[in-house]
Amino acid sequence: MLSRRKFLQVGGVAAAAAAIGCDQLPEVIRDPLGFDDDAPSGPFRAPVSGEIGMVSHALSRLSFGGPPGEWQRVRAMHAVEERAVERYVAEQLDHESLRDRRAQRMARRLESLAAPLGEMYEYKEDFLLGEMTRGAVLRATYSTRQLYEVLVQFWTDHFNIDSSKGDCRWLKAADDRDVIRAHALGNFPEMLRASALSPAMLWYLDGRVNRRVGADDKPNENYARELMELHTLGVDGGYSQHDVMDVARALTGWTVRSKDVSELGIGRVEFHPELHDDGEKLVLGHRIPAGLGERDVDAVLDIVALHPSTSRHIATKLCRRFIADEPPAAAVAAVAAAFEGSGGDIRSTLKTLTATSAFAAARGSKVKRPFEYVVSALRATNAETDSGPALTAYLSRMGHAPFQYPTPDGYPSAPQPWLGTMLWRWNFAAALASNRINGTRVNAAALAVAAGGESALAAHLLGRRATDEEMRAYHESGAGVALLLAAPAFMRS
Amino acid sequence: MLLPTPVVTQTALTGDADDPRALIVIFLRGAADGLTLVPPLLDDDYHRARPRLRVSPREALMLDGFFGLHPLLAPLHSLYTNGTLAIVHAAGSEDTTRSHFEAQDLMEHGGVTAGGWLGRFLRYRPRARHGALSAIAVGRELPLSLRGAPAATAMQSIDEFSLGNDRMAGALALLYGGERDMIGEAGRETLAALARIEKLRGTLYVPDHGATYARDDFAQGLMQLARLLKARVGLEAASIDVGGWDSHFTQGAVIDPLMVKLGGGLAAFARDMGAQMATTTVVVMTEFGRRVAENASFGTDHGRGSVMFVMGGGVHGGRVLGSWPGLTGSTLEGPGDLPVTTNYRQVLAPILERHASRGALEKIFPGMIIEPLGVYG
Repeated sequence: MLSRRKFLQVGGVAAAAAAIGCDQLPEVIRDPLGFDDDAPSGPFRAPVSGEIGMVSHALSRLSFGGPPGEWQRVRAMHAVEERAVERYVAEQLDHESLRDRRAQRMARRLESLAAPLGEMYEYKEDFLLGEMTRGAVLRATYSTRQLYEVLVQFWTDHFNIDSSKGDCRWLKAADDRDVIRAHALGNFPEMLRASALSPAMLWYLDGRVNRRVGADDKPNENYARELMELHTLGVDGGYSQHDVMDVARALTGWTVRSKDVSELGIGRVEFHPELHDDGEKLVLGHRIPAGLGERDVDAVLDIVALHPSTSRHIATKLCRRFIADEPPAAAVAAVAAAFEGSGGDIRSTLKTLTATSAFAAARGSKVKRPFEYVVSALRATNAETDSGPALTAYLSRMGHAPFQYPTPDGYPSAPQPWLGTMLWRWNFAAALASNRINGTRVNAAALAVAAGGESALAAHLLGRRATDEEMRAYHESGAGVALLLAAPAFMRS
Repeated sequence: MLLPTPVVTQTALTGDADDPRALIVIFLRGAADGLTLVPPLLDDDYHRARPRLRVSPREALMLDGFFGLHPLLAPLHSLYTNGTLAIVHAAGSEDTTRSHFEAQDLMEHGGVTAGGWLGRFLRYRPRARHGALSAIAVGRELPLSLRGAPAATAMQSIDEFSLGNDRMAGALALLYGGERDMIGEAGRETLAALARIEKLRGTLYVPDHGATYARDDFAQGLMQLARLLKARVGLEAASIDVGGWDSHFTQGAVIDPLMVKLGGGLAAFARDMGAQMATTTVVVMTEFGRRVAENASFGTDHGRGSVMFVMGGGVHGGRVLGSWPGLTGSTLEGPGDLPVTTNYRQVLAPILERHASRGALEKIFPGMIIEPLGVYG
């Protein structure tokens, strides 16, 4: 008899084969009815100014860069460029109203990522990581909900889980869906709670083995420490070793049902009162009375989720992502106030951030990380990609493969760790422009025609009119689009 | 045509200009039999357990009065006697599954943790510089040990490091030459590293000191690494595998050629590198050793403890380190295996400290109580 387990395994493989096969078909066959009308096509206008305008800046920072036509679309939102950007931000913050057919259709093919928690174990672990990686790149590349996708990447780093640790091999896919994607533009305290009780996080930071049975049992502090140091208060957030210890005690007793114990309900998060330290705790000066049992977790999260240190910490990280590696204090303070004032509402916080003068002033000053670099190049060239291994190998080479950062602090936001990746960026640019990446296609000639010439094409890619030197290098290189994608200006956002 | 502007200093090209140290990790996949590579010649239990597969004292090359070296590893003997090579016996990991996959997984992660130990080393070492070519895996893909490295490249030949086009390099030199920020600097450094590799390409590499590399993948891979190290392109860590050690059946036929490959490759590399071996450390490891008693098909089954080799980089060689537990029935573990008395991380820890100064070990081997083995004497 074919067991359910076997059936699902076979189904998984078949689904994989179907997905791969389908992605390799030309777009016209995959989409005969033209449902992809949210995908850009036809002639488009590029910026003409020699400086990075506000719209180019917004597209570079708040999205993974503009595909052909996106600058024109946003610029047309209002006669005044700053107002146009306000409208763009409003549109992006209301992400669920944005039609997103192409990305959604692509994501639907990654069936394993939609499987219920327990069924994720039916897939081979490498298969799941492959699907998650494809999904991350496809959605970042093709989704119209760009700010949302940028935030997904931001929170993925903030609540980092390396999928190679233990059962995270299977459980991270559910965390990505049910924690990160569910709350990326939502409410921070809700996301924090989802993360705290996410089976993948309980595995990754050892919460599942944090227990107290005998009087001498020491709780496992791993999650408690990272909760305060990384997820909420920040390393200088004012907590002590005693706070770490009592938070760890409060979180004892939460386990993840393992596949060694039972075939049923694998991956389910359960509270075991007999493993819980139900005594009184003192956390950051707040008393948590004895006897709360599983409600201890809520008591702890209530204390830290909207603590002033948390507001400052989250605001600082958001400002580093969207404004500058060393953001001005006034901007951080304004964003922190918006975060706190809105009860951790991520939309309100971003609305405030994008309205600061610091945001407007910070043009072209950040270095793209490899993921941003690769995705922005795909978008700018209107590339068709299956996001298969040939493409994602470039991310591995550059040390930025999704879901593979080992420690809980997430891929660094600072530029220095990424400076050794220049050669692979250039190689990627050359391979992309000359269609040497299996499963990824660009039509550079059509792109230049649609832009209305080489200068306009350069302006589209660089977000401003190219300098004489850039055009000279472009002509002398003989490499066309590849040279522009490899230029210093395209490394920055 | 434009030419790259040579505006890069030596500091930029190596991990540390004063001390361009490199670490080469060789993984013997399939679980190599430490009792054959480095037989405990004076242990009577060894000869009893291996009536047909044992290495006799007459064949072996004597190391320290107790252990010997398999004759097919003879090229390593002079490296041992001149103090370049140290051996650690009864080494391995805490993994008791005796599963190749599980044990390699744990060993390359460096514990039940995320990412690879070599990747974490590159990312978290103090004063980390992230050069374009700082980490290389010889082969088709990156091993798990290099996961999490800031930039790591799998390569089979240095020909892969190319922009494929001189005009492109010239145009990039024009653009990056004029940038004053860190992007400009990184671009110029990369162009200079490429220019060095470009010089190597197309010229015939003549190893130094009369070294000759065999034609197998392992020796050829080591030769590429020697070439890159001598060209000072900033290589700080490399990994290369020798697979096929899983000798359940007719062990000699399986591992004899591998020992020839391993010994010959390492000896050629050491000779070629010459004085530069003082700053180049080579570590050889395997996921576990093999059952003490031979099986009925002239082979050995999955065991626990095996050997590690540590060569160059200032190690105090000419010694077999670790503590030998003996092979009497009561000391053997599980189904009859040499216990692991030295965890491989205790061998790596002092080496990583030397390569990275101090302070990063807690992140490289989280949760491990480090009791470093005295590989430096």
